[in-house]
Amino acid sequence: MQQDALKVEGISCGYGRAMILNSLSLEIKQSQCVAMLGKNGMGKSTLLKALCGFLPKKQGEVYIEGKRVTHYKPHRIARLNLAYAAQEQAIFTELTVKENLSLALAHPDTFDQVFIPVGHLFPVFKERLSQKAGTLSGGEQKMLLVARCLIQRPDIIFLDEITEGLQPSVIDRIAEALDWERRSHGTAMFIIEQNIGFALRVSDRYLILKQGRIVDSGDSKAEGAAKKVYGYLTV
Amino acid sequence: MALLLDFFTTAALLFIVSSGLMMIYGVMKIVNFAHGAIISVGGYAAFMVARLGIPGWYGWALAFAVGFAIGALVERLIVLPLYNRPLDAILATWGLGIVLIQIITMIFGRSTQLVESPMDGTFAIFGTAYSSYRLIMIPVALVLCAAVIGLLNGTRFGIKTKAVIMNEALAESIGINASRIRFIAFSLGAGLGTLAGYLITPLSSVDPYMGVAWLINAFMLVMVAGSSFVGLFVTCLVFGTLQVLVSIYVNPVIGGMAIAVLAAITLRIRPQGFSHV
Amino acid sequence: MYNRTLKKALPIPALICLALIVLGPYVCSMYLVNLLIKAFFFTVAAIAVDILWGYTGYLTFGQSAFFGIGAYCAGLVFTHLGFTDGNIALALALALVLPAALSFFVGWLSFYRGASEFFPCVISLVVPIVVMQLVLSGGEFTGSSSGLTGFDTFEFDMDGWFWLSGGFMLAVAMAAHFFLQSDGGKVLVAIRDNEQRCAYLGLNPERIKILLMTVLGAVTGLAGFGYASFSGVVAPELTGFQFGTELIMWVALSGRATLWGPVLGTLLINVATGYLSSSIPFVWQLILGLSFILVIILLPKGLIPLIFRQLGKASPMAPELQAAQISAPYSGAHALDMQKVAKSYGSLSVLSDITLTGDQGELIGIIGPNGAGKTTLMRCMSDGTARTSGLVSLCGHDIGKAAPQKCVGFGLGRKFQNANIFQTLTVAQCLRMARFIVEKPSFLQESSVLKLPQYVLDVLKVTGLDGKLSAVASDLSHGEQQALELTMVLALEPKVVLLDEPTAGLTLPERRGIGKIFSDLAHKYSLCCLLVEHDLDFVKEVATRIVVLHHGTIVMQGTPEEVVNSELVQTIYAGARQE
Repeated sequence: MQQDALKVEGISCGYGRAMILNSLSLEIKQSQCVAMLGKNGMGKSTLLKALCGFLPKKQGEVYIEGKRVTHYKPHRIARLNLAYAAQEQAIFTELTVKENLSLALAHPDTFDQVFIPVGHLFPVFKERLSQKAGTLSGGEQKMLLVARCLIQRPDIIFLDEITEGLQPSVIDRIAEALDWERRSHGTAMFIIEQNIGFALRVSDRYLILKQGRIVDSGDSKAEGAAKKVYGYLTV
Repeated sequence: MALLLDFFTTAALLFIVSSGLMMIYGVMKIVNFAHGAIISVGGYAAFMVARLGIPGWYGWALAFAVGFAIGALVERLIVLPLYNRPLDAILATWGLGIVLIQIITMIFGRSTQLVESPMDGTFAIFGTAYSSYRLIMIPVALVLCAAVIGLLNGTRFGIKTKAVIMNEALAESIGINASRIRFIAFSLGAGLGTLAGYLITPLSSVDPYMGVAWLINAFMLVMVAGSSFVGLFVTCLVFGTLQVLVSIYVNPVIGGMAIAVLAAITLRIRPQGFSHV
Repeated sequence: MYNRTLKKALPIPALICLALIVLGPYVCSMYLVNLLIKAFFFTVAAIAVDILWGYTGYLTFGQSAFFGIGAYCAGLVFTHLGFTDGNIALALALALVLPAALSFFVGWLSFYRGASEFFPCVISLVVPIVVMQLVLSGGEFTGSSSGLTGFDTFEFDMDGWFWLSGGFMLAVAMAAHFFLQSDGGKVLVAIRDNEQRCAYLGLNPERIKILLMTVLGAVTGLAGFGYASFSGVVAPELTGFQFGTELIMWVALSGRATLWGPVLGTLLINVATGYLSSSIPFVWQLILGLSFILVIILLPKGLIPLIFRQLGKASPMAPELQAAQISAPYSGAHALDMQKVAKSYGSLSVLSDITLTGDQGELIGIIGPNGAGKTTLMRCMSDGTARTSGLVSLCGHDIGKAAPQKCVGFGLGRKFQNANIFQTLTVAQCLRMARFIVEKPSFLQESSVLKLPQYVLDVLKVTGLDGKLSAVASDLSHGEQQALELTMVLALEPKVVLLDEPTAGLTLPERRGIGKIFSDLAHKYSLCCLLVEHDLDFVKEVATRIVVLHHGTIVMQGTPEEVVNSELVQTIYAGARQE
């Protein structure tokens, strides 16, 4: 049997004594894309931070590609063919576009080669490799973030609210890039979202997080999924 | 002319002495108060090298290696546990300085030792005779500066280091081992410290407290420089010049504290120092 | 006999000191008496360092400078002017005034709004170096590197000196003891724990620290004066940075923030040094250095608290709660008035064209997605330096460039998103800090009564904090800490209350209770409340008006029904594309 790309077994964690996540479990199969939706403050970003090793887990286990990584340090998790785009402060604004991209590579000398497909998806960066990332627009910074994830050729990608504050055209571009990545490499993805349209478009399954628990889940492409999710996210 | 050379050689010495401190402060935001003692260790390395008759070039490498090893040990044992308590880290490194100085004292005794300069005499430049060893410090400082800047800007290690300085969590999230970077940076800084001690020894005598005298000036320069080596270079030039001027035209004693006072005033007026020059 | 009250007023270490001071001359050798007299003077300086560093969090390497100046005041006056009654008075006055003046200057230089954490520490390094260099360059006047010796001084015998110096030390220690235990003295720990919170309780941390430094500078100077008068020797080392760091070492080894720890520790270390430094000089320094490193890393609380376990722990007293008279509500025009407020970082605009008013009795919910500028908006209301342009007035006062503590004075209270409290103080002490500007606390004792406005008592009751008054804040649960911050803000009796996600981390029943209290604050007590919340369900229940913030501008405001049912809000929140 093939390993799950990501398997989370009953993790609980939080800041100090406050528990943000309560015994949460989920799994993402190979090549599957799962979207987690929920209102602000429900623990979505906390979950990703915990999975990437930035928060200690009080309970439970995390497996990536079958490997138990519950107590791994962040950089060790990052080296497991996993790409993570955090919601805030996720690029080095003082470094150039190229430095931002190549820092994520285990073998930076392969840059020119691995950049080719990324350059096709986001042609805007081809001309701007030596520009400082901080001078890019908000949408371009988010695209850089996606580009950085893709250039790593990861087995699994974590995206934290990548569409936040973006224009519809940029959101489309990102969705196309993610679709392309899944088609050509079968990369598993775990995306945290508030944008229902985008989340359902790119994902196979959705999960609803509320007060640190998964309260509902379903097939993203099913009839009426959008309406159901909408009900959870609005009042 | 001699005055101009005084400016440059003073600045060069200041840069040599403070670059190790800068390496550590820039990366870890921790001030290594043991830097003074580490400079002394370098001084005694020079003393040993001279006594054993080891040729100069090996001496440089030896001094650097000793410092690097001490730094590596100290980082793991003292600095790492205090990473979240920066003020306590200052204190612990100061305690370490005391320990190092006492060990030196126990081995070599308290008295002042003299080390012969590998380059005696003077050198005539534009008709002015000037101490050749002092003069050689200028290219040494330039090479050192170029080497450090090259390391930080031109190598993979340098970019990773910059990434850790800018945003440690982000650096870790893309697979950079921040703790290893800090370890290397601290060891390098300590190595630069002993190297500095080795280099300045022929200009002064060797005693266990020789480095402590430099510590405060180096510390103030690094504070003003912020976290860039270019900034440090400029800072050394400016404050070295001021020190020489005050020493000559006002009073040598006041000149001795000119850097500390002027740097403090600079920081009060411009808290970010020279970090954006 | 030796009951709790007495133990609190006169703890065991104080009794040990007392016994030592009374009996010392009868049981100790001449050499030891001599050592102890000097140690008593050093202890006073160590107490000053402990108060500044241990309690207030200001790491200073420079207290030696003030000790040295005090010593040189005696040495210089007695050497050059002679030892007469008039000159004694002059020297004494100088030994108090000069260190105090220099301390004040150093404090002014070190503590200003926005100073970096390291800066005061850096300055404290420079001070002793400068003073020592000045002494060294003083030629015959200061005796340069050999110092001054052989001047005439008081002709007490050793026993007399012993009692005098010991009495002086104990007096300073007891004064510090009562001050640090008092309600008002807790302000030092409050500053160490959280300067931002202090400012948002209307206190001025910078001014308090400068005042503290000035007083301690004078006390340290007096100790230096005593030391020089006794020993008949002043040396430049007394002013130096080495001695300054030794003071820190003594305090760290014996136990920072425990007062009696450094008192006993300094005496012990000095006596030990006196005996050991002649027999094993370098090894002894090595041992001190090594134990210093070990203590800093492994036992940051120091060694003496291992023996006296009570030292340095928060006193577990729970005062009796009483209702305080509430000041009259604000009756002018808008309690909060923002006109065309904008905030930008360089070319990046975070807020633009914000015009918003709030009246007493209103509960305004501010909603919007992450990064919409909600927290920045709160900052602009509460800190005069936060906005780039526009006008903000609170209760009729234009805030201009006013610091947070000034804004608090105008009637503002601000609750932060993360529980912003004093971690090492108890609940009761936190609340008393919050009452500081309303009702000055005692600087001599701990009061057994705590008066708070009725609505604060209500919140304490709903959240169960009234039963945990003697608990240390860091031991509270996340929700309790949030509630504690809320009660602290309300204890200020503000007219305008800013609440940044006050219900984050609270359970559902707690949310309901808090919601009821918010309604009361607005409707019963006529406060103007602004509530930033993610939880739209919660906001629509309690708010009288909702303001929607998006991309740094107000895109809509209206009644909860209007806002909740609007297409715009649904779009912003669910992210569906606008068709």
